[in-house]
Amino acid sequence: MGDTTPFDEMYNADGSVREPYSALAQWLDEQPDRGLSLMSSDAEAIFRRLGITFAVYGSDEGNEKLIPFDVIPRIISAMEWRRLSRGIEQRVRALNAFLYDIYHRQEIIKAGRIPEKLILQNSAFCPEMMGLEPARGVYAHIIGVDIVRTGPDDFYVLEDNLRTPSGVSYMLEDREAMMQLAPDLFQRCKVAPVENYPENLRRTLESVAPHNTSGSPTIAVLTPGIYNSAYFEHSFLADQMGAQLCEGPDLFVDGGRVYMRTTTGPERVDVIYRRIDDDYIDPLTFRPDSMLGVPGLFDAYRAGNVTLVNAPGTGIADDKAVYTYVPEIVEFYLGEKALLNNVPTHNCVDSDERAWVFDNLQDLVVKEVHGSGGYGMLIGPTSSKALREEFKKRIEARPDNYIVQPTLALSTCPTFVRSGIAPRHVDLRPYVLIGDEVRITPGGLTRVALKKGSLVVNSSQGGGTKDTWVLEE
Amino acid sequence: MRIAIRHELAITPPEGATNAVMHLLLTPQSGPTQTVESWSVSTTGIGNAARFSDAFGNTVHLVNQARPDGEWKVSVTGVVNTIDRHGVLGRSHHGEPVPTIYKRATVLTKSPVTMWSKFRGSSESRLDVLHGLMARVGEVLGDGEGGQEQSQSEGRQSQSQGGESETANMVDLTHAFVGAARALDIPARYVTGYVAASEDNEASFHAWAEAYDDHLGWIGFDCLLQMCPAERHVRLAVGLDAVSTQPIRAVPEGDGLKQIAVSVEMAQ
Amino acid sequence: MRMLGRTAQHLFWLSRYVERAENMARLLDVGYRMSLTARREGGASEHMLSMMQAAEVEEAFAAKYDQADLDSVVHFMMFDPDNPSSVFSCLLAARTNARSVRTAITLDMWESLNSAWLTFSQIKPRDVKGAKLLGVLQWVKQLSHEFRGALLGTKLRDDGYCFSQVGNFIERADNTARILDMKYYVLLPRAKMIGGDLDIQQWTLILRAASAHRSYRHVYHDRYKAHNIADFLILRPEMPRSLVYCAQMIEETLGGLTKLYGAKQECHEAAAELAAMVANNSMDKIFADGLHDFLTEFLARNYRVTETLSDSYNFY
Repeated sequence: MGDTTPFDEMYNADGSVREPYSALAQWLDEQPDRGLSLMSSDAEAIFRRLGITFAVYGSDEGNEKLIPFDVIPRIISAMEWRRLSRGIEQRVRALNAFLYDIYHRQEIIKAGRIPEKLILQNSAFCPEMMGLEPARGVYAHIIGVDIVRTGPDDFYVLEDNLRTPSGVSYMLEDREAMMQLAPDLFQRCKVAPVENYPENLRRTLESVAPHNTSGSPTIAVLTPGIYNSAYFEHSFLADQMGAQLCEGPDLFVDGGRVYMRTTTGPERVDVIYRRIDDDYIDPLTFRPDSMLGVPGLFDAYRAGNVTLVNAPGTGIADDKAVYTYVPEIVEFYLGEKALLNNVPTHNCVDSDERAWVFDNLQDLVVKEVHGSGGYGMLIGPTSSKALREEFKKRIEARPDNYIVQPTLALSTCPTFVRSGIAPRHVDLRPYVLIGDEVRITPGGLTRVALKKGSLVVNSSQGGGTKDTWVLEE
Repeated sequence: MRIAIRHELAITPPEGATNAVMHLLLTPQSGPTQTVESWSVSTTGIGNAARFSDAFGNTVHLVNQARPDGEWKVSVTGVVNTIDRHGVLGRSHHGEPVPTIYKRATVLTKSPVTMWSKFRGSSESRLDVLHGLMARVGEVLGDGEGGQEQSQSEGRQSQSQGGESETANMVDLTHAFVGAARALDIPARYVTGYVAASEDNEASFHAWAEAYDDHLGWIGFDCLLQMCPAERHVRLAVGLDAVSTQPIRAVPEGDGLKQIAVSVEMAQ
Repeated sequence: MRMLGRTAQHLFWLSRYVERAENMARLLDVGYRMSLTARREGGASEHMLSMMQAAEVEEAFAAKYDQADLDSVVHFMMFDPDNPSSVFSCLLAARTNARSVRTAITLDMWESLNSAWLTFSQIKPRDVKGAKLLGVLQWVKQLSHEFRGALLGTKLRDDGYCFSQVGNFIERADNTARILDMKYYVLLPRAKMIGGDLDIQQWTLILRAASAHRSYRHVYHDRYKAHNIADFLILRPEMPRSLVYCAQMIEETLGGLTKLYGAKQECHEAAAELAAMVANNSMDKIFADGLHDFLTEFLARNYRVTETLSDSYNFY
């Protein structure tokens, strides 16, 4: 993980092509001049036509942006994927077992394997969830695991997203676009399909319907509305699943059950895939000022009359401070070693550790415990001295608000940029569905930092996406 | 002691609300210190209400009313037999969460260091520490004997005002105790209930605290009355603080909760 | 899958706003043309004011401007976000409604609106003058036609279609009735049988505002006459902007909802009451009872259709 040349997913150090990329390399060679450039503009036209946009917070309404799409796919071999998906499955099972325990007997705290204070005083811990029995014992049904690669066999989990992970619509649309743009390339490679994600999502949601559901469960996607940055995804998923896209005021609670207002009267709702944060889902139990939620929704959930996906309070398992304990969590609940590594993480609460962090800040990454989207982050190697001093002050003031990690040399992948094909850093977010079984879509969303040398892949900060191929044997 | 309770409360949802919902924490449960002989909650929509247990083991009613019109009243009546166990409830029961979650600090239960620092690292037993803490909270925040006499002598006109400030004081005292205990790493919870009249107090809707001792289990501490709840106390609901134990939460809540009447009487 | 009340509401208003954008463009076009030929001092601003009266925005205008000069009126009617019926506001509202029901409209409908909005946002208000203004107004009318074409050509004939269509015709009926009401006095029967120049000018304004100045000739083969003009815009079923045509379409479309949902609602009664005003009626009778009163009552009944529709199908 030092400052050596980052691992390139396509080319070996000697310039030869790595096996999974051989067909792609050949195909790239065959492309005429300007071929990729034409494909890029075709891709943009496809996305604009579909209206796949995201709103950047703070920008004007109506000023929606396209996330740049890179026409060169990122390829993962069958063997690599097998290893990765085993590790992911282990991790999401352990995290759900952890959530069950934390909201019941809290054995892991009693056993002294995780500090009591870290859980009980954590704002992501939701005491209202204590003792609740979710359908099939599942709390986090939809998880996005952020993974980075630093070498041929070195994968690290950067973050687990157990609240409302977004981006899956880009995974699906990227594939759709890629098949339109380069059908011939698909003929040469056996690529595992991702298209059944909406169907799998539907099955997962149906499998966790409350016991008293009669007939086939009615599913609703609950969105904060058109001004949310992920609104496109909400409407896309509802459409693809054949579920109703609802806003808070479309739903109401009557007799402890949830209904939607339709043109022909109330219709019972059994499962709600909510894309609204915990705090806002129900003004009766959580933030009373929320206009986005449904009054009484949480009580209806506690009464066992509706399933919320994901359950409230899952954030305690993806909290950046709890993250450090995930290997411990895997061992405690599954009795086996974690297959996927965590990035070594330091806290700043301990004064010795803090001193070491301050001495090495230029090589480290500092993250806010509750930050997301790449905001509030310090990337040591590319930071100014002034910014580092600023962060020292912030850490000094609230040491428990930050975690520190080494700067990982994220792997690179050939990417089509203005100057031609050049290596750019990438990460990977596979999507996992957990209901009657664990379903992992092969691949996931590859995010790519389009700026040369940049390690920030977030779309809000100039990142793009790539179609991600898992090869079948 | 056989205690008969009548309690009337109301909210007035704003005009034009399409659906109003209420979360009622107004149903006591039988336990080591009390047996519920009879109990009924009546209000518009109660027949259609969802009844379930919340995270703290309380019985909740979720009631709703489409297009509410004017005041929405809730009346509670019942008879509870209490047993004096000097405030000791014992270990948690089925349906209650692990006691440690009652170490979670909330916005309302922040207690100043000066309230509890002298008990930190104390060699006394936890029970003694808790009694000491109840006394300390009473000294720092309570009205004291004189204060109460004064408010009684002020006569009837100021009675309702006196009642309100007394309620506020009771809530503050209980939060202070709960917060201080948690700061000392002792699980402590907020309890609502009723107290029958005595020489020192009128019958009222009441609040006190309970703290956890590894040997004795949960023990009640009434900081306002400076006593461990005995047979005049009827437990209604428990939670992290006054907000999580509110007898009625409502959306939309209009002008807020109104206490109309409460009577707590010894029954034959 | 059953339709959310909110979805029905968005579809209804989406159509109404597209239709309104078109009507606003047409009114502004007429107002502008008339003001160019006004001979009297202050005549130009008078035309502009009565045009805004028909658009029912004159109060909002007066609250913001002292004088109805051309530039202010054009800006107010085209680009002003404070005017809830400006072309800008209509297109924004249409697109916002469309975004909320993206999955309930077809890709063609979405694309026509989306590209219209993107184009409109590129227009710089200060460039829109003279011939350019007429060009832009023409474009606004066309985008409405394009959207309607996409709706008619691609939308499933389901409940969503019905809500879209009802919205369209309620808005149109409202607009036609207002145009008539703005100048109802020039249509009243008078002793003098032949209209003077001023009358002809006013009549042209009415017909143009309803896109009826050419088709009038096809129907009546006659010069402009007040009686005919009123008849054309109120009682002629072949005229697609007439009150009778709109009322029939509203009733028919709501009939479609009865078929789909299997029940009649309060709004069906309201629509029948609206249609009853214009079915089997004659201009002589309407004039005898009072044209202004008739129009006022028509507008009220038309409003009641919207109101009962919201109740019947759980809009909120």
